[in-house]
Amino acid sequence: MTEKVIEKNKGLVKADFAFWVGLYMDKFYDGFEQKKIMANKCPECGSVFVPPRKICGKCRIKLPIDENWIELGDKGKLINFTRTAYKVSDRRARKSKSLKDYGMVQIEGSDTAIVYPLIDFEENDLKMGTEVKIQWKENPSGGPSDIEGFVKL
Amino acid sequence: MGRQVAITSAGFSEHASKRSDVSMPELVNEAIEDCLTKVPSVELDDIDAFVNGNMPAFEGSNLPELWMTDWMGARNKPLMRITTGGTTGGSVAIGGYYTVTAELPGIDTVLAVAFEQQSQGDTSVGLASVAYGEISILNSLGISYGQLNRLLSGGAAIGVAAYQATNYMSKSKITEEDLARVVVQNRRNAAKTWWAHLKMPDLTIEDVLDTPYIQYPLRYGMVCPASDGAVAMLFTTEEKAKDMCDIPVYVNGVASVANETAVLGYDGSGSAQVDPSAQIGAMKSAELAYSQAGISFPRKEIDYAEVYAPFPNQELMWDEKLGLFEETTAPEMYETGVTARDGELPVNCSGGVNSTNAIGASAMERPAVAALQIMGKASNQVPKTVHTSIGSGWGGSLNFITLMVMSDEPKRKWK
Amino acid sequence: MDKVGIVGYNQVKLYSDANYGRYEMIFEAVRGALDNAGLKKKDITTVISATNDYYDGRTISNCFTVEVGGGYLADESKVEMDGAHAMLYGLMRILSGNHKLAVVWGGSMPSCYPYHSARLYETDPTWERPNAYVNDVTASGFQMRAYMDKYDIGAEYIANIAVKNRKNAAKNPLALEEAQNSNITVDEVLNSDAYSDPVTELMVAQPCDGVAAVLLAPERQALKITDKPVWISGVGWNQDTYYIGERDLSTCTSMELAAKQAYDMANINDAKNDIDVAELHEAYAHEEMIFTECLGLAEKGEARKLNTSIGGDLPINPSGGAMGGKPPCATGLIRVIEAVKQIRGEAGDYQVDGVNRAVATGQIGMCAQNNIVWVLEGGGE
Repeated sequence: MTEKVIEKNKGLVKADFAFWVGLYMDKFYDGFEQKKIMANKCPECGSVFVPPRKICGKCRIKLPIDENWIELGDKGKLINFTRTAYKVSDRRARKSKSLKDYGMVQIEGSDTAIVYPLIDFEENDLKMGTEVKIQWKENPSGGPSDIEGFVKL
Repeated sequence: MGRQVAITSAGFSEHASKRSDVSMPELVNEAIEDCLTKVPSVELDDIDAFVNGNMPAFEGSNLPELWMTDWMGARNKPLMRITTGGTTGGSVAIGGYYTVTAELPGIDTVLAVAFEQQSQGDTSVGLASVAYGEISILNSLGISYGQLNRLLSGGAAIGVAAYQATNYMSKSKITEEDLARVVVQNRRNAAKTWWAHLKMPDLTIEDVLDTPYIQYPLRYGMVCPASDGAVAMLFTTEEKAKDMCDIPVYVNGVASVANETAVLGYDGSGSAQVDPSAQIGAMKSAELAYSQAGISFPRKEIDYAEVYAPFPNQELMWDEKLGLFEETTAPEMYETGVTARDGELPVNCSGGVNSTNAIGASAMERPAVAALQIMGKASNQVPKTVHTSIGSGWGGSLNFITLMVMSDEPKRKWK
Repeated sequence: MDKVGIVGYNQVKLYSDANYGRYEMIFEAVRGALDNAGLKKKDITTVISATNDYYDGRTISNCFTVEVGGGYLADESKVEMDGAHAMLYGLMRILSGNHKLAVVWGGSMPSCYPYHSARLYETDPTWERPNAYVNDVTASGFQMRAYMDKYDIGAEYIANIAVKNRKNAAKNPLALEEAQNSNITVDEVLNSDAYSDPVTELMVAQPCDGVAAVLLAPERQALKITDKPVWISGVGWNQDTYYIGERDLSTCTSMELAAKQAYDMANINDAKNDIDVAELHEAYAHEEMIFTECLGLAEKGEARKLNTSIGGDLPINPSGGAMGGKPPCATGLIRVIEAVKQIRGEAGDYQVDGVNRAVATGQIGMCAQNNIVWVLEGGGE
């Protein structure tokens, strides 16, 4: 059997996207510009959300845009971690040679956890409960990459 | 088998070309909020299951229902996602109906939501792959991509719709003026619908004909806008419906039929159909849904219709294919005011897709408005009493039609 | 619930790079299911498909599958989830009384798209997606660590599941060749490359090309079509909240709730004794243990003590499970098919003795955010 060769497809459709973040996330990212974590709190169950949101999923109620805001510090504790060589992006996923650490961190005062890289962690620092601190980008611009990662406290 | 299903409410978000004030989940939440305000006895907690859908490739988010779980109030609840392209909204509404009628234990009240935030992506790029048919087959047919682009289609949905329009025009012998008349009726109706996008209370036929062609015979002023918006519908059982609202709307017939093939040129997909205005799928959908609903004379028995039509020629064509008017007579009905708000058979009093098109939501907005017209709660309510109405959806490449038949009386009374 | 039977099924052989067209694959699956039941295209009244626009790389992915999937001029729709969810919609359509024969098919070809990138499109685009720190790879690592940490379980127990499933897959002729290994050891699994620590490459169910189809019919028609219908006695489906930082990843709440819904429907009070075999859509080895517990087949943290081999107390994934090949949008449906094979006694080398009641599951989302549970029974009538 000979292999059939099909003319190479020269056409490529590229579609780019930009997402509206909404007023709640807008306020959150405005906080980033001043290296602040703005969270909001459910008046019913008391859960504090990072990132903030319009709806408390547990109570199924609306959290008004101009109420229940709390400013949190930049400390937190590690509640889960992983180490991977995979680099995933919109266009492709590949495996590099070096492993990178990612941590799930609960910011002090919040009931949720966020995922960012762990910076300069030794093997034996990777423990549940390790206290960490946010490392901000030098010149934050109000976006999710303003947080570079977490460093050990 | 299968129990009676009722619609007790429908709600909308504000629609606009850009809803940059909300994220996608917040947009959906707006429609749900509007939907539930109309039924004060129902809270988010009372919803037993959810159905969700949009056209995912348009705004660059795969399976967004996962992300918007909490915004829908769907945390730890049963949720099913249905997407079928342009008909997504119609398919989601039909999914809501089936979820209730199946009579699964504990699943009585179902919230169906459909949405699109098109300002986030490039809809025409997303649609190109649909308009062109099965691209991978072209090479084996010896057709190059460049050739396809020049010969067959001006691009995306409008490219294929233009061919459909000329096909229809040659059959019905209508002029561009007839097309413009449909647009004028829609945009003026939209002006009275609070959530609609293109509101033009003073639009005239001349205004429409003054705009440049995009692709003959469709002019810039005739085509639908691209909107951001969401819609929600509440389905429940006959018993529960009576406690929720004064006039429950019973769903008596549903269908979603396609006649589409993967190979271009064989009465098939995209722009290469022999006659894209033949619409066998639409006729089959109508036949199925009407027979379920016990409707023998659609022209006499249907009081109100919401027909999915981004382009005016399609509204005329589907009015006929869905049995509202005799073949080729629809244009006349627009001229004589039969389809006007105070006419005999009003069509698209919400302004239709021609005035507001948040694609994933559009095909659900049709049955949603048609149901509200029966309840007497529509934004641009018709003066006469509506007993039976229909809401349709169009999608696939050209030939996928969803249809929902609703009435103020349950199905069994007719049998 | 009225009785609905599964009257036919078919699955194509799984390949990591199938080297034949998507549409041929769909046709092969659906046509095979019809042949399996001795039916014809004209008998189909409704078709429910499971595909995903991102996985297929095109808008309205169901639009060109109408012919090959048997949907031409039939009442059709698409569930953009696992194939096991599409079967839910198929069931609803039969229960409505509007339809007498439903074709349900699902599948995709990950050899044609970057799987992890397509999965990344599932994440919150206003928060997690730009950085891509949360993706299906890292999520699996968090999930396994949460489970191990909660119950103080060593990775060797989880590797053990991968060993069992890969050995089972070796007995399944339709499983992915790369996943079949009758000589694999726990050490080999533990020492394979890190995927997302503590998950190793061999603990991961590999995405592959494949399509599967089943046919559903109401009781009366089912009994006419086949001597061996398999009845649907329960179904449950449920969705967890989205952010993985807000979920207890050591368990799977949506699976627990879905199981409760399905068991209530099927009158199952003691799942461990009432169920003869389970086919679970485990995207990673640890998910099989989490699911086993959430399905009530073992106490919390005790799944490791259960003998789940083919001759064991409660065989789980005798076909090799998703570890034997994970075609997106088909995996859950293949689990259903494998459960049907067990009940009908058609599972060949991996047949479990005396199966009358089986459980099959499907899932989508990061860390199995949305799950569906099916309870299936034999018995002829």
